[in-house]
Amino acid sequence: MSPRATKEELMIIAVAREIKDYERVLLGVGLPTTAGSLAKATHAPNVVLMTEAGVIDFKPLVPPNHIADVMCLRGYSYALDLFNTFTTINYRGFVDKAILGIGQVDRYGNINTSFVGGTPKTGMRLTGAGGAPDFVSYAKETILTLKGGEFVNKLDYFTSPGYLGGWDERDRCGLFAMGSGPSMMISPEAIFRFDKKTKEVYLESLLPGVDLNKVMSKVPWDLQVAIPLKPFPIPSEEEINYIRTFAPQHCVPRQIMNELAVKKLLEFAGGKRKGKSG
Amino acid sequence: MSGENQNKVMTTQEAIRRFVNDGDHVVIGNYTVGTCYNQITEIIRQRKKGLTIYSQSGVFDVEMLIAGECVSRVITTYCIRSGGRAGGSMLERYQRAGKIEVEDYSNFTYNARLTAGAQGYSFMPVLPGIMASDVFKVRDFMGDGKFGVVKCPFTGRDVPVVPAANPDVCVVHVQRADKFGNAQYWGALGSVSWACLASKRVVVSCEEIVDHEIIKSSPQYTIVPGFRVNAVIEEPRGAHPAELSGYYNLDILFWAMMDLSNRTEQGFRAWMKEWVYDLPSRAAYLEHYIERFGKEPLDRIKARPYYSAPVNYGSAFTSMWDDEGKMLLFEMTREEFEKLLEERGLLIDVSKSD
Repeated sequence: MSPRATKEELMIIAVAREIKDYERVLLGVGLPTTAGSLAKATHAPNVVLMTEAGVIDFKPLVPPNHIADVMCLRGYSYALDLFNTFTTINYRGFVDKAILGIGQVDRYGNINTSFVGGTPKTGMRLTGAGGAPDFVSYAKETILTLKGGEFVNKLDYFTSPGYLGGWDERDRCGLFAMGSGPSMMISPEAIFRFDKKTKEVYLESLLPGVDLNKVMSKVPWDLQVAIPLKPFPIPSEEEINYIRTFAPQHCVPRQIMNELAVKKLLEFAGGKRKGKSG
Repeated sequence: MSGENQNKVMTTQEAIRRFVNDGDHVVIGNYTVGTCYNQITEIIRQRKKGLTIYSQSGVFDVEMLIAGECVSRVITTYCIRSGGRAGGSMLERYQRAGKIEVEDYSNFTYNARLTAGAQGYSFMPVLPGIMASDVFKVRDFMGDGKFGVVKCPFTGRDVPVVPAANPDVCVVHVQRADKFGNAQYWGALGSVSWACLASKRVVVSCEEIVDHEIIKSSPQYTIVPGFRVNAVIEEPRGAHPAELSGYYNLDILFWAMMDLSNRTEQGFRAWMKEWVYDLPSRAAYLEHYIERFGKEPLDRIKARPYYSAPVNYGSAFTSMWDDEGKMLLFEMTREEFEKLLEERGLLIDVSKSD
């Protein structure tokens, strides 16, 4: 029997395990940062964690609110600006891994975080490109986290380049770091990887209790599946304990987090709290 | 600006009145944190119109300006969406209604425009990979002017480039500045200094105006020199509800309240009436906050100390004459030195000429 963990904790642990010690890792906000933090606290103490805002080599004490949150940590080694983070660190090849959240993804790991369901003028805006396109182009490997997103045949908006049309098209076009591209993707249901030859996404492991057919039905193409499926990594007590100490709010589904937050919010918005007036 | 003995210290009201005009290109200088909500709300109260807003990390600053009918165009890389699929944003509502135009860049390409503008170049090379993205291919109001492609004269490779941006005014909030406008900022540097340096006018608000001596002993934190700055405003909690390194954390509950209200247009307008239009200044805003919620939520998010290790910029000596009045190097007194000038016939009386 393995220690019990929530789905959210399992996802964080699976991503953290991808990080190797001494790697330089660029983190997007949310799950990526908690995973980076977990890796640094457990098997990769020398990993260099970075954000695009120019906060280089840090160790958060609480989960950051966003990619420019230095109040979640105590100090960092190198204060750089955004422009130079993208050039001297990213373009020059010093990002070993980028870990980013995504909205829509296609068969070859191309990504949309900008607009869905129409054009930029008519569709629903997601957040926007942010820093993603340039990191996905030059990080040696990119890990994609797909929390609420979807698989589509054709992206509504092509924000960030994965393997383009597949096979060797990405390397051949000469625009990107050679050999770079998405290496792993995780959703609340499965771990995916990319075929080394075709660069097509395939399912590698299912989260416990997930029905394979259910996952495949959400994918509009004939999703390739590893045979045999790899067992999902078994979490350790140490990893679970770290996440619950560092980011308890990331251990629960967004719905529950919102429910608890709204409860607190209504208390707050209701006016001066008894015994705490100024 | 140079040579004039200007007093740059003024109120937010005066600074916005004088330095932000209808039709201006305005860059919100802050990058995600320290957002100058004090200045943003004043722009709205003064009913500035037809602005082109440059924003890299739009949260409620951009939402408010749009709802305040101040904006015709937005150049952005990221803007908040409240309430997921079922919710929305003022940016999306106005864009769909054809009331504003929006051009989307990526974080790097947006910053590159300001860097080019700050340095006086007409363009800046960006990374080749962007040419595969719709950020490059899809054009809104900027059309052909959004990106270009040049051939590197040395390698022969195609290099995508972005046009320089030189906004009319940068509004920014920082931790401290002196009365001359030397503004100091620390934390996530983002694109803050580039936004200031690219702009024709710069309006700086800060938590505290400090003595020039403080600035001089820590020049590494200065992001824009005084001679580039038009106005300096002292306004504590100017960035609330945003956080500011060393001063206060994000007011998460207040922020969540704004987010909840922004799920609908009416909700957001009701929020704006209470927190923007009905309050004439940041001081009034803070008073209202304390009336509603007490002082405790604000106190709870005050930053605790975590100081930088001091560095020694000192020198062995600060005058050519030591404490005994002897010249360094030659070790003579002032008297002896002037006697030498006399003895060697080096002194000239200009009034006595042949």
